[in-house]
Amino acid sequence: MSVNEKFHPIRKGLLEFLVLKIIAANPVYVADILKELNGTEFATQEGTLYPLLSKMRREELVDYEWKESEAGPPRKYYELTAKGKERLREASEYWQKISGTVKNLGQK
Amino acid sequence: MNKVITINLNGIAYQLEESGYDALREYLDTAAHRLAGNPDRDEIIGDIEQAIGDKFRALLGAHKTVVVTKEVLAVIEEMGPVENAAEEEQPAGAAAGATTGAAAGSAGPGARTEAGGAAKAADGAGAPPPVRRLYCIREGAMIAGVCNGIGAYFGIDPTFVRIGFVVLTFFWGAGILVYLLMAFLVPTASTPAEKAAATGVAATAQEFINRAKAGYYEGMKHWHDKAAYREWKRRYKQEMRGWKRNFQQSMHEGARSMHENAQQWQQNWQAQWGAHPRPFVGPAVWPLLGILRLALAICMIFAVVSLVGYGHILGFAMPSGIPLWVGVVFVFIFFNVLSWPLRALKWSWYCQGPPYYGMHPRAIGLVDSVLWLVFVVAMIWVADHYSPHFHEWLRMVPGWVHDFLEKVRAWWQTV
Repeated sequence: MSVNEKFHPIRKGLLEFLVLKIIAANPVYVADILKELNGTEFATQEGTLYPLLSKMRREELVDYEWKESEAGPPRKYYELTAKGKERLREASEYWQKISGTVKNLGQK
Repeated sequence: MNKVITINLNGIAYQLEESGYDALREYLDTAAHRLAGNPDRDEIIGDIEQAIGDKFRALLGAHKTVVVTKEVLAVIEEMGPVENAAEEEQPAGAAAGATTGAAAGSAGPGARTEAGGAAKAADGAGAPPPVRRLYCIREGAMIAGVCNGIGAYFGIDPTFVRIGFVVLTFFWGAGILVYLLMAFLVPTASTPAEKAAATGVAATAQEFINRAKAGYYEGMKHWHDKAAYREWKRRYKQEMRGWKRNFQQSMHEGARSMHENAQQWQQNWQAQWGAHPRPFVGPAVWPLLGILRLALAICMIFAVVSLVGYGHILGFAMPSGIPLWVGVVFVFIFFNVLSWPLRALKWSWYCQGPPYYGMHPRAIGLVDSVLWLVFVVAMIWVADHYSPHFHEWLRMVPGWVHDFLEKVRAWWQTV
């Protein structure tokens, strides 16, 4: 089992946090999110991202509006809601704690 | 040479090689199956279809109009398997959805319309209509929009609600009291979302688009079967038209049409009563009618009190399993049915009788109500003065009202 496979659950759990972070920086299309995640350890696919975004929208973390695209039908343009921003803040704080713990454990 | 199948992804037609079509169909069916039980299933499928369409479009050009199987497989690979993000949270719902999905899928061609119906039901869950809440609706309101809001909440003509309030008003002015309380307690729908919640009709074009997409997905599934597809298309168009009509009526003209309805109803009512021969009762009989009504009202109060306090009326117990409030509402309705002829007689006199003492007949109605109110207040005053029991009871009323308001507030916050 490669490291990549082994850490799949961790990446899966962190995906929502990262998506929040990406959307917080800039309102984006799904293609933009994929592009940003591609080339990182968190590279993902539409098949995963769309259900995740719909879940996040149901939890009122993100919202979208339809925007015309230069070619083809209008696309969804995702933004964070106030609740999403709050969740991102919490998650960032928690992440700081976790990474601090990971760094400090075992060091005397 | 390969056969080509035309498909419709999100309103745009693409031509696929037959085996590519089969692969795509399998991919989308699997996706739909995995998402069974997900409330946003149809929306996610729509998004995925759109993404696939975008990828296809990037492959095509002026001299290349068909997506070959290899390309379809590559796109599917790129999309990745659809994972149900909500799966961990609601395994039970997902499982139930999966079984119904399987049942709809296994139904033969003869059951296509039923399958469509099931998909439509799922669509209802997929693009959930906004939760209905009670609001005051100012558009087309007579006063504060309370009746309008109640009518929208229960899906009935607000005119009937208004009539209900007017009827309640004759009953010791309770209608006015309840109306004022509700006008203060119930929030007014001001944002589009609140208005949508007030009527239960989706307010945004987005919901409309979602419906359209969900329908198209359904249609694509029948694409290979021409007869079934035509049948679907006919039904789909019909449904969308009906929905659009509803949408427009309730959102843009709703208020006005409600108002027109009210006027129409009023006219009918007057025409009907105007055609009747003048009733034999004159103003002289009014006190008699009033006493009869009062007797009925006392009977009703007695019935309600005995129902709430002892669980039965004159020995008739409530059937088990029926909540108490149903009984109370039933008693109210029963009272209104019983006293309806009395009120009708009086109103017919007001509306078509000659001006009485130089007053407009409607004004007499108003004076009559006010007189009743005065009479009731006077009775309460007398009782308060001469009956210590009643005095004690009356002192407790403000506490009850306060408790009741608190309960309503708590209820409102939980809804």
